Amino acid sequence: MDVEYGPVVDTFGGAGGEEKARQFGTWGYPIRARKPA
Amino acid sequence: MNDVTVDVGKLREEIQSKYREVVDHPDATFHFHTGLRAAANAGYEDDWLEGLPKQAIASFAGVANPFHWGLPNAGERVVDVGSGAGADSMIAARAAGPTGRVVGVDMTPEMLQRARAGATEAGIENVEFRAGLAERLPVDAAWADLVISNGVLNLVPDKLGAYKQIFRALRPGGRIQIADICVDQPIPEGALRDIDLWTG
Repeated sequence: MDVEYGPVVDTFGGAGGEEKARQFGTWGYPIRARKPA
Repeated sequence: MNDVTVDVGKLREEIQSKYREVVDHPDATFHFHTGLRAAANAGYEDDWLEGLPKQAIASFAGVANPFHWGLPNAGERVVDVGSGAGADSMIAARAAGPTGRVVGVDMTPEMLQRARAGATEAGIENVEFRAGLAERLPVDAAWADLVISNGVLNLVPDKLGAYKQIFRALRPGGRIQIADICVDQPIPEGALRDIDLWTG
């Protein structure tokens, strides 16, 4: 199953978890795939 | 269950407690954004949110946009894994239309209650919310055209188990469109057992 990632989102920027998110390089993504027919 | 390093029961309790707080006090400060701020940050279209119950929007805690590649098609069957207060499920239900159907699954009773009330308030009849876990989806095999999820699978200890369930629920040729957080750095072994890091 091929997996495709969409554009990165700065999910935690400006939120309380921003510091921890930066520590681990944490970002949000849309992700899609298709089950084989 | 596949090998996990954290106390699963305690983790689920902590997650439920956290999201109970999101339902009861959506304007409180969390480690993540909520409500309109979270939706805007994720790239949601304004018209997706129009007409949704205020409390469903206020308790929204998505991390990115599972509809980046498009909303469900008319007539499609959709499963929303970790449906929370129901915003994504309701958006999907409106897109799928009267011949489509959405099943939202969540493990937190307060979120299910909020989602059911919200769907009733909005007059959205082609959505239902079922109690359940991502690792044991209460959905028939090959039922779904599309599985969505938003900011949920990162909190599931048995991720492989959850993906196996998603695979099972999808019909052949079905799609998964999720939004979640990913890390650039490897997570140290000790951190994997730290529930505080899982939940914020």
